[in-house]
This record gives sequence, C-alpha cells and structure tokens, in this order.
Amino acid sequence: MKTQKKVGKLARMPFLTGTMFVLPALLLFSVFILYPLATALSYSFFGWKGTLRGDFIGFDNYLKLFSTPPFDTALPNAFQHNILLFVGAMLFQNSLGLLLAVFLHKIGRMKRLFQTMFAMPYLVSPLVVGYLWSLLLSPLFGPINLILKQVGLESWAHPWLGDPNTAIWAVVFITAWQWVGFPMLLYGAALGGIPDEVSEAAEVDGAVGVKKFRMITFPLLLPALGTVSILTFIGAMEAFPIPYAVGGSTGAPAGATDVMALMFYRTAFESGDVGSIGTSSSLAMLLFLFIFGVAIVLRYALSRGEKRLYG
Amino acid sequence: MRKRISALGLIGVAALILSGCAPAAQDSADTGTDSGSGGDTSSETVEEVTLSVWSWRTEDVEKYNRIFDVYEEANPGVTVEFEAFLNTEYNQILATGLEGSDGPDLAMVRAYGGVQALIEAGQLLAVDDLVDTSDVEQSLLAAATGINDGQLYGVPFATQVLQVFYNKGIFDEVGVTEPTTWDEFLEVNQAIEDAGYTPMALGAKDAWMLPIFHEIVGAARFGGPEFREELLAGTKDFTDPDYVASIEIVNQMTDFMVDDVVGIPYADSQVQFISGTAAQFPGGSFELGNFQTQAPDMDLGVYLVPPPPGSVSDKPLAAGWADGSFSINANTPNQDAAVDLLNWMASPEFGQLFADEIKQFSAIKGVEYTDPVMKEIGELFAAGPTQYINLVDMRYGDPTGSTVIGEGIQRMFLGDDTPEGVAQALQEGISTWFTPGS
Repeated sequence: MKTQKKVGKLARMPFLTGTMFVLPALLLFSVFILYPLATALSYSFFGWKGTLRGDFIGFDNYLKLFSTPPFDTALPNAFQHNILLFVGAMLFQNSLGLLLAVFLHKIGRMKRLFQTMFAMPYLVSPLVVGYLWSLLLSPLFGPINLILKQVGLESWAHPWLGDPNTAIWAVVFITAWQWVGFPMLLYGAALGGIPDEVSEAAEVDGAVGVKKFRMITFPLLLPALGTVSILTFIGAMEAFPIPYAVGGSTGAPAGATDVMALMFYRTAFESGDVGSIGTSSSLAMLLFLFIFGVAIVLRYALSRGEKRLYG
Repeated sequence: MRKRISALGLIGVAALILSGCAPAAQDSADTGTDSGSGGDTSSETVEEVTLSVWSWRTEDVEKYNRIFDVYEEANPGVTVEFEAFLNTEYNQILATGLEGSDGPDLAMVRAYGGVQALIEAGQLLAVDDLVDTSDVEQSLLAAATGINDGQLYGVPFATQVLQVFYNKGIFDEVGVTEPTTWDEFLEVNQAIEDAGYTPMALGAKDAWMLPIFHEIVGAARFGGPEFREELLAGTKDFTDPDYVASIEIVNQMTDFMVDDVVGIPYADSQVQFISGTAAQFPGGSFELGNFQTQAPDMDLGVYLVPPPPGSVSDKPLAAGWADGSFSINANTPNQDAAVDLLNWMASPEFGQLFADEIKQFSAIKGVEYTDPVMKEIGELFAAGPTQYINLVDMRYGDPTGSTVIGEGIQRMFLGDDTPEGVAQALQEGISTWFTPGS
C-alpha cells in the first residue's frame, strides 16, 4: 500500500502536460484501433453488396451466424476448438512454463542461456513455426514418423495432422512449443520478485520443498498467473497463424482444426456470398465481445482473489 | 499500474482482430455508365491515352508488357500500363481501387462467384453491346456474367482443364500404357502399385483438391454436361444416384494412394510426382508449368479417366473452367479507349499472344499451342468438354459447393461419412442460397 501511494505522488503532473504526453498514442490508437472497431460494429448491422453498403438490417447478420448453414454448425465447432486451445495451453504450456521457471530460478548458473533457448521459438513468426511443424509431421517426408519407425515404435507413427482426433492436439502442442518461453519469463520475473526474507523466514519456520512452494511461492505468483491466464485466453481465442499453417483456411481435416479466426477469414475473404462483409463483421464483433467480456470478468475475479489473499 | 497496462493492452490486442475487416469508404459510388459521357475521343487527331490494367499475376508483368506492346504499336497514342499486385491481397486492393478515383481503367477480375461482389456494387461496366465476343469460347462467358442481371461484365482470358498427368518413364518401366477402358484403368493402377510405385499422388489434406479429383474420376459417371443441365433446371440434385455413385468411385480410388492420404498436403503430393515416387497426378492444367520446371527431364503424358461401369457419359470427360476475366472500371474516364482494348482482348490475336507468352490456355477459340502437352490437353478438352460444376455454378453463396464436397470427401476418406452422406451434405449446403431454375 505504501509503495503504491509513493508512485501516485511521483506520477502527478499538470493535467495539460499529461494530456500532451498521452495525445500522440491516443491519436494512433483511435485511428488504427477505435475507428476500425467502430466501423466493423456499424458494418455488422447492414446488408452488403460487395463493398457497397445496403440497408440497415439490425441483427440479421448475427442471427444468420446462429441459424443458417454453414455457420450454425461451423460456429460451435470452431468455438469449441478455441476453448480446447485455451484449456490445452493452460494445462501444458503454462504449467510447463512454471516448472521451467522454478527450475531455472534454482539453478542460477546457465540460467540466462536456458532462458534464451526456451524463449527463442517465441521470436519466430508463428506462421513459419506452423509450416515447419507441418513438414516435420508430414506422413510422407516428415522425420518424426521416420524416427518413430526406426526406433521400433512403428505403432506410434501416425498421420498426426491428418487424423481429426490428433490434429487439434498437434495445434495445441505446436502452440505450446512456440510460446512456452513466455509464461516462463513472466513467472521467472515474478519469482525473482519474491523477497529473500520471505523465503528465508518460511524455511526457518520449517516450510521446505513442495510445502514451501505450495504455501509461499505459489500464492505470491498469483498475480503473474492471472496475467498469464488472461493473455493465454486472448491468444487462444484469436489463434490464427498456426491453425492456418497446419490445416489451411478450412481447418483440415474436415474442420478438425477450425477456429473462430479461420472461420472469420473464410467468411470475409473466401466466401462466394456478396454480403460477406456484413456476416464477417458480425462474426468479428461477437468474437471481440466474447474475448473482451471474459477478459474483464477474469481480471475482476483475479483482483478480488488477490485482495483476499493479501488483504 | 500493472493493472492499468494490462487492461489497456487487453483492449488493444482484442481490438486488433477487428481491424482486419475494414473495407474503405462505404458511400455508394455513382455508377453512371452512359457511354456518351466519355467525351469526344474522335480519331481525327491522335489523342494520348494511358490505360492502366491491374492484375494479380505479379509473375507475368514482363510477358503482359510484351503482349501490350503489340497493341500499342497498332494503336498510336495509346499506352497500356500493366500493374500487378500480390495475388492474395488483390481482391481487397481492387475493391478499394474501384471505389476511389485512383482505380484502374481495366482490371483482371476473378471468375464466376468471385466477380459478383464487384458487379453487384456497380463497379464494372456491362459490355454486352460494346464488345464482340464471337471469338470467345461461349461456355466460358458465364465466368464474367452477373448471376442476377445476366449481363456480361468482361472477357475471360484463361481456362483450366482437369485430367490425369502421368510419368511416361514409370509407365514404360512398368509396361503399361494410357488406359482406354475402366478395366484397363484399374489394371494399370494395380500394375504400378505392384511395381512399388504410388499409383496416384493426391494431397487430400487440402480440401480444395478433392472436388478436382472427384471431377477427374467421376465426371463421366454422373454425366457431366447432361447432369449439370438437369441440376440447374432443378430436375435433379446432388443426391441423384449417379452423383452418389461418382463419389463412391472417389472412395474406391484410395486403394491406389498412400495410406492416410488425408494427412498428405497438396505440396507433398506434388513432390511425390515430381520426385518420381508417384506415377500419376490427377490435377489441373495449372500444374503443367510447375511440373516442367521442377522435373525438366520427366516425360510427361496426360489422359482422361475412362468412364466407369454404369456411366451416364459414354466417353471420358475433361472438366474445364475460366480462370478470370478482364473487365472495365465503370468509372473510368477513358471508357472508349478501354472498350477498344477489351475488344482486342476478345480477338484471336490476343488469344494467340496470351498462349505463346503466358503459356496458359486462352479463352479464345482456335488458338494453337506449341507445347506438346498443352496441345494434347487442348485436344482432350475439345473431345469431351464439361464444366467443373462445383466451381462454375456452386460458388455464388456461402458455403460454396467445392468447400462442402471437399470436407465431405475428407470425412469419407476418414471413414466418418458415406458417399450418400457427402452428397446429402453438398445438397443441403448449397440449398441455403441456390435455387434451381433461377
């Protein structure tokens, strides 16, 4: 509490000066984010003929998404995959990230090297990562199945991206491979922020190993956990490059890797429907509102949780 | 502090997804197309006109420049500026350009369903009475015709044809020749398989490839042009037993492909054929250039799949379609000059130049091809022409026919659907926007 007040005092400056500092960013934000956002919202309420705006049709574009094929089946299918990507990322990517962060925090030496290594894929374009993995997993030329066959695990060799049961998990895995460095860095920073006194006091009181982690370290990581969860949620809901590289715009095989952003892309840019601007805008609006709404609720819940913990 | 940053970042990140879908201005452009307003471009004095032509063929800029040099020479005062944009972004660039004042005079437009948005928005000039299309392959004019008003909005420039490409070297080694009957076709494939080659390369992971494959092996079975006529008239639909049987044939063909073919991407199937591990590649004529560059030593042959038993058509069929058209911007200030140029693009002279320079099939009748494989493809198409129904007729709404049948065939290959189910899904999918007889 004390430190917060101090920050508040330091940050105080004349209103006009503050405004001047904020203005350039606000201007850019308005032109490139708020304006397109508002136009997309308005587009979603109109009928369209190509780029020619037609009549105001209220919520018809939205209703269409829920009531007419292919949207009425594609929407729940794609949405369900987004949720799966989120759950998968929380389970594998973020817990692995936490594990790595804890280990790296302990080893000290070589920490930088490993941190850089684990974070490296995160610097490569996800589209490149996606194509790379689809080559690695190719049933014809991919080295992964080849290695499995050569070490006698022939029954494990599998058309990973061609089987609807494994394709979406391949997307979860590839995403995790690329992004694991991100939660690792955030948790690492949070671990570094835990004062030594707290840690030492806990040890003096007899909390060591798992118990110390459960009672001391983990609760102190909660703010970082919250941030990671929200960012993971947004990332999973907006997933596009990796699913696109792995399954193309239709989410092959047979829609097994379809996600909301792919559906939006198909509707907006590959549709034969002349009214596609309206339909795709309403789809984008829905996705935005969902992400925005859930993120706000999550944020609120987390800050309440933090308050309860720290008083 | 951190809280505020993450809240702001959250709005920012989430808003990004929306910024992708913002077309430019939305004012309804005045689409006055009265040709009298073009001004008096009389031919007394040579007037300087510069016509800009937009395209998505970035790889063909020099070739098109050479083609238009011929026109410029014959028409003093006219300069044609050919500009190409990235294929994947072309639709957006063109739609924006046609709305504003800095758009092109003429432009390449997509075919069939792909051009309807521009037509509906009134951005293209109707050319029924302005351009003589008698030298254009008549069946292809549908590619540039408004589905609602039936007017012509351009001249198709390129066509594609579907057939089986094969490696003559492997055929000789195995001791087989081009099949002429269905039984021979099965025997040839079996012999190739027994010799240790993959008979057919198919990238079934890319759903767009599957309706193409269906046309290649199944068009004769469901009866190509006759079926199309009845489908459009509403006397038959996709659940017709002959159409279902044609999908069943697609299913039988998996015997001649690698296992788990749904896991094979299109690019890998090309490698299979180019590297000589697969003997045949069922595909479109657009593959030809790539095959010839990647495998210059391969002796390439083409044939049409013979009609399977029970076929409606008694001869093999080659499905074709127009790849795109040239159209005139409805708002061009140089309308007369643009119409003159488009008339030339509908002439045999342009068709021959196009075939010679671009090395693709022209939409103009009577064009001669020097490449022996192209020549053969041209002959196959002339002997048994039909149209690729799911592209030509089923791309005017959402979902497109090719999307539905592509995904359906994937499900069928995976054992999750039947030929009847695929046909049913196709019929239901297109029924959301397609009304026969209209």
